[in-house]
Amino acid sequence: MAVTMAVIRDVMPAFDLLQPTTAADAQKLLEKYRGEAWALAGGMDSFDWLKDRLRKPRVVVDLSGIDELKGIRATSDGVEIGALTTLTEVGAHPLIRKDYSLLSDAVEHVASPQIRNQGTLGGNVSQDVRCWYYRGGWPCYRAGGETCFADTPVGRNREHAIFGADRCVAVHPSDSAPALIALDAKFVIRSSKGERVVDAEDYFIGPNVEITRINILQPGDLLTSIRIPSSWAGARFYFEKIRDRNVWDFPLMNVASAMVLNGNTIQRMRIVVNAAAPTPMRLKAVEAAVAGKPANAETGEMAGNMAVKGAVPLQFNAYKIPLMRNLVKRAIVGAQEASWA
Amino acid sequence: MAEMTPAELLKAENEKPLPFGDGYRLIGKNYPTNDLMAKVTGKAKYAEDFRAEGMLFCRLVLSPMPHARVKRINAEKALAMPGIRGILTPQEIPGAANYMNDNGVMIKVNPWAERALTDQPMYQGDPILAVAGIDELSVANAIEQIEIDMEPLPFVTDPLEAMRPGSPNPRSEGNVWVRPKNHPGPMQLANLKWTQKDFDCYKEGRLPEGQAPDEWSYGDLDAGFRNAALVLDETFITPDTSHQCLEPRSTMAYWQNGKLYLYTGTQSTFQTVPAIARWMHMDEDKIVFISEYTGGGFGSKITGAITMIVPALLSKKLNAPVMMRVSRREEHFIGRARPSVEGRVKIGFAKDGRITALDMFTICDSGAYGAQGDGASAGSIVSLLYQPPAMRWRGVNVMTNTPPRSAQSAPGGLQGIAILEPILSKAARKLSLDQVALRRANCPEGPVEYGPVNERTGKRAHVTSCFLKQALDMGVKSFRWNERVASKPKRIGSKVRGLGVSLSVFHGGSIGFDGLIVITPQGRVQIHSGIGNLGTEAVIDVHRAAAEVLNVKWDACDIIWGNTAKHMPYTCASGGSQTTHAMTRAAHAVAVECVKRLKEVAAKSLGGQPDEYEVANLRVFRRGGGAAMSFAEAAQYAIKLGGIYDGHAVNPEVNPATKKSVAALAGQGLVASARDDYPHNGDSYSFLACFAEIEADVETGKYYIVDYQAYADVGTVVHPAALGGQILGRSTLGIGHAISQDWVIDPQYGVTLAERFYENRPPTILDVPVDMKWNAVNIPDPQTPVGARGCGEPPVGGGCASILNALSDALGDNIFQRAPVKCDTILTSYEAGRPMQEPLVANI
Amino acid sequence: MGLIKWTTSPWGQLIPEHVAWYLIWVAIIAGFCFMIVHALYIRAFSPRKVFAKNEAPVAPEQVPERVPRHSLAARIFHWVMAAAMFTLLFTAFLPKLGVHFNWILYHWIAGVVLTISIVFHVIHSSFFQDAGSIWPDKTDIRDAFRRLLRFTGKPAPPPTRFAKYPLENKFYHLCIVLAGLAVIGTGVFMLKRINTPFFTRNPYVFSDMTWGLMYVLHGLAGIALIALVIVHVYMGLRPEKMPITKSMIFGWMSRDFYLEEHDPKRWAIKQSKQSQKKRGLAASDAD
Repeated sequence: MAVTMAVIRDVMPAFDLLQPTTAADAQKLLEKYRGEAWALAGGMDSFDWLKDRLRKPRVVVDLSGIDELKGIRATSDGVEIGALTTLTEVGAHPLIRKDYSLLSDAVEHVASPQIRNQGTLGGNVSQDVRCWYYRGGWPCYRAGGETCFADTPVGRNREHAIFGADRCVAVHPSDSAPALIALDAKFVIRSSKGERVVDAEDYFIGPNVEITRINILQPGDLLTSIRIPSSWAGARFYFEKIRDRNVWDFPLMNVASAMVLNGNTIQRMRIVVNAAAPTPMRLKAVEAAVAGKPANAETGEMAGNMAVKGAVPLQFNAYKIPLMRNLVKRAIVGAQEASWA
Repeated sequence: MAEMTPAELLKAENEKPLPFGDGYRLIGKNYPTNDLMAKVTGKAKYAEDFRAEGMLFCRLVLSPMPHARVKRINAEKALAMPGIRGILTPQEIPGAANYMNDNGVMIKVNPWAERALTDQPMYQGDPILAVAGIDELSVANAIEQIEIDMEPLPFVTDPLEAMRPGSPNPRSEGNVWVRPKNHPGPMQLANLKWTQKDFDCYKEGRLPEGQAPDEWSYGDLDAGFRNAALVLDETFITPDTSHQCLEPRSTMAYWQNGKLYLYTGTQSTFQTVPAIARWMHMDEDKIVFISEYTGGGFGSKITGAITMIVPALLSKKLNAPVMMRVSRREEHFIGRARPSVEGRVKIGFAKDGRITALDMFTICDSGAYGAQGDGASAGSIVSLLYQPPAMRWRGVNVMTNTPPRSAQSAPGGLQGIAILEPILSKAARKLSLDQVALRRANCPEGPVEYGPVNERTGKRAHVTSCFLKQALDMGVKSFRWNERVASKPKRIGSKVRGLGVSLSVFHGGSIGFDGLIVITPQGRVQIHSGIGNLGTEAVIDVHRAAAEVLNVKWDACDIIWGNTAKHMPYTCASGGSQTTHAMTRAAHAVAVECVKRLKEVAAKSLGGQPDEYEVANLRVFRRGGGAAMSFAEAAQYAIKLGGIYDGHAVNPEVNPATKKSVAALAGQGLVASARDDYPHNGDSYSFLACFAEIEADVETGKYYIVDYQAYADVGTVVHPAALGGQILGRSTLGIGHAISQDWVIDPQYGVTLAERFYENRPPTILDVPVDMKWNAVNIPDPQTPVGARGCGEPPVGGGCASILNALSDALGDNIFQRAPVKCDTILTSYEAGRPMQEPLVANI
Repeated sequence: MGLIKWTTSPWGQLIPEHVAWYLIWVAIIAGFCFMIVHALYIRAFSPRKVFAKNEAPVAPEQVPERVPRHSLAARIFHWVMAAAMFTLLFTAFLPKLGVHFNWILYHWIAGVVLTISIVFHVIHSSFFQDAGSIWPDKTDIRDAFRRLLRFTGKPAPPPTRFAKYPLENKFYHLCIVLAGLAVIGTGVFMLKRINTPFFTRNPYVFSDMTWGLMYVLHGLAGIALIALVIVHVYMGLRPEKMPITKSMIFGWMSRDFYLEEHDPKRWAIKQSKQSQKKRGLAASDAD
């Protein structure tokens, strides 16, 4: 008979807290300790892992004292947001609200006001999945084990993926990520080899690539800022998040889109759905199909149907298929707002 | 109808709503409660805020398996780690024993009762061990070195699965709780499996109705169905919901001079001492219990929690104070929950909406320990609230290997109302009747009867009073029900609106407790309160009745609460919303006694007869002027007189516990104690009519509550602000059941998945409208001197069901048959056109 | 460093998760060490093979110029199996060494191919071939003992020539059989853990402990196959073994090589008319 080891949660393990004040120092520390280091931004994801004792890093590199990673700056081609900028600041910034309201709209749907005051944009895009099996410390694929507990005949999977599952069926939980992809944002990553810039959509990796990671950050890498080009500034944006509660809830699904119109004809569009798959899903086929078409209900229906082609529901998440179809449709024609006199 | 007193003979329908505080100086008026400043400034000390010299910390080790036998615990490595002082094992927990209750009745030991630590865990999360050390980090590091040799045993987490033929039992002795025949005592575990045929209707989403151990009925059911214009047969399932008290049941304990000092949150300060004594196997006199503030109980801390003895035992063993902090995750497991009730109702209606017959079947998931009365209570509440002329209730009470349940705000009341109300809504639509009209047609009024015929008395129980129709009418007017119904558009875009009304009821009072007042030589009115400070403000509010009778200003009164060393009267447990009713009666009684003694003291001191004196403004004075003395002088003279006046002798009618307190306070002033022996005919219940409007988006399944209003019949309103807090707060608790809150358990491992707030989703303040409204008819209950009843629990069912009704009004029938209703359910049924997903599977 | 990577089950029980991945490197290094040691040995000693005289020598002209050795079916099996094996090894172990890709799809398909090909092989060799020819017999054991004695300088008669397969070959086959059966036996059950056209995923058909042990066995056998495959490829590429390798491609070996290494009494080749005509290219397995 197997020996059972006692488990305790809600006590943070001891670690060395390192508090660099420059990005260069932070990167060096992450490089030095690599797999033994944990980068701490707002702590909204980190503290769960630490308190549950499911992650026991030797050092925690606290990024909160690095001023150069904070703030929002206008650039010659758009705007640059420091990775440590809080979601509240992002949501309230006039520049973002004016030209990139898709992002302010998205971040204002994150969690709760308290969490947005503490949580950062870099943290929101880099957070780990919220599958309750994985978060509960079960030895699943994503945790390095050999099974998925959500995708079983009795698995509880109403919040899980209908696309892109590969052994792991967890979904990406971020609200800001789809907005950033729709805005064609670039993520700036600092490593020992210098700085590299990747497209937002290439930042996220699914289980088909590497099952235990959620983004391309390697040990020693530091996400320093997010740049949004002006190419979609002022476009027609749509963001909608569906969640069980009105606040403090991860998305059951969200959609973010940017659309440039000529009259009512769609010239170009970027549309991204999250919480449908292990990574934010950019719907390139839909983008191509709607180009040149009028932004009307017919195009919306077509796009919605196209978006859900190939969806594979689990036992409890089939509702995500009509949900995604309707959200994609609404990204094109908008939700019909009722006016109750 | 039961025998009527003259007061009851007054026709209930003639009573009209009254303004709050009508005829009173203090009652019915808002005021800042004595604990308010401490709460809003953070100075209030909850159990976790206390510290003692040399205090150790302990943490619990919870079972990872839903049912297992602990064969061996190897803690050698852990005990050798730095900072670790000791462990507590199940063998060190005092065994269960028979005990005497308040009324001197011997309660037999229950062999299936929960223990503070166990070597045969019955659910994942059952505490099996505690470790103490100098800090929590050392303790946590040590716990991870403990090896436990555990043998997994068969388990079941879904109550229906426990009834299937050939299914495993949650405990080797059986799967259902049955009442032993012919002798009182704990419910017994028995083996009962239904047949495969019973389960034939399962795949259609209808609740199987197999053999049920509990049953009662009255009236002619068959005739009722025969004469019905409409008969419905519906299944509805209510969720398991954790109590989610913001303060977990953290406890600190130490020993001094052979006495145990224990600090924890409780609903009932006075009543927790006997619980500690029982669980610790020790004398009540050796216990000092401190509970100044409690961060919510909702039925989960009626007399504290059994785990509170863990730090007490560790403290004794290690000879040091021990603090046991309970984390949010641990609270999920040991913090209690409302049992899910799976209900099926066959119900007949006449054309005018009047119910002709009601046949109700319930399966109550009682969890790991002890039978829960929610199924039976649901039946009783339904018979009261909808007054069916013929009714049968059958129930089965199932054990599962899931966290233990307990009463939660309106136990069974919420479930019964949530099961019935959507069916009434469907019936109104089928009969083309207005929702309010259908409810009014079935609405109780006056001292109505309910439940089955009592075998002993041959009579049905009845309530003290019911003015629900007045509350319903008040709500219809304030909510503008008719206008809203008339102007409701069918659908705009993807949005549909829905209106819901629900009746609601739950217990609102008990009788027979004591009050204790000391008039100090300084002239203060010192009122001793044994009520727990659980957030309802009853701990303070009920004593407004005493101040009213004593005719003193409120600022002359000091409320002594939160520490049994300060001596308390025999007080009710704060459960079943009984406190306001029970303790305003006791407060009234002791104030009357106090007035009587003050007059006697004055007469003895100043001459004349006691009845020539009056009491007001902290003075006792002779009617018509002349001799007078202040309360201070009266207290000083009472001490001189001794005997009954200063507590050296005691009112013989009071409970022994009150006598002890009086003896301890003897000589400190004019000490008055009294028992509530006011007449009381019937059972006290409080009623509400609740209204809601929702807007749903049929493309996403997301909906918002646009408006919510609740109108109460709670007798006389004692403290409007506190009552409003209770009505809207508990409505929100009920609304949580309708919109979001539930459990998720993996049935393969029997392990809870939704452990955290963001996973099990209690409602937040942003899930309900910001401007919810309430009001009360303020018609005094004729069976109690102050006229007041409790209102903690009654709103819960109405909060939940009014939302469910509004949803079905918006979306139509057959969209959902379980609560909470979330967007997945709505989309699956409405948009995808599929049958409801897994309608009978528990904890998805 | 244990051989097994342990984990805790959802019930907190210590269970094996899989084999420790560092063993991949152990197997690779072991394979290459064998290669190096063997190559050095051959080079340093260039041992000559000495065989006892055939008890019943056959005249060369009785043997076809091209001695049929592997039927087309057998060769197709071998190469299909080899392709599946390589796919399986690469898809299994490259991700563990840091090369990440969507490996599981290719892995299970290759696994199914391997399984089917082996089932075919077992049936084919049992009923249409001399199944006994691959298993060591008494003569093999005796000769092996003699060779060992002679290698250590002790007096012993020279061993006889080989039957169809040299003893090393037979031992190798035995190892492959054991490791192969282990991976296939466990692998077939593992198909139940993913969604395939054959099964709907259900990991709960076995307990956590049983699965853990199965993963360890699968991993150990798989890692053993790394070393076995390295050795096999190396042997196949050795110049003196080339005739054997070629026979797995073309189906025949030369008469000279046959007479040099094999004992016609233990592996009789009859010159059939057909094989004469076709120069043994598509020789039957009448052996």
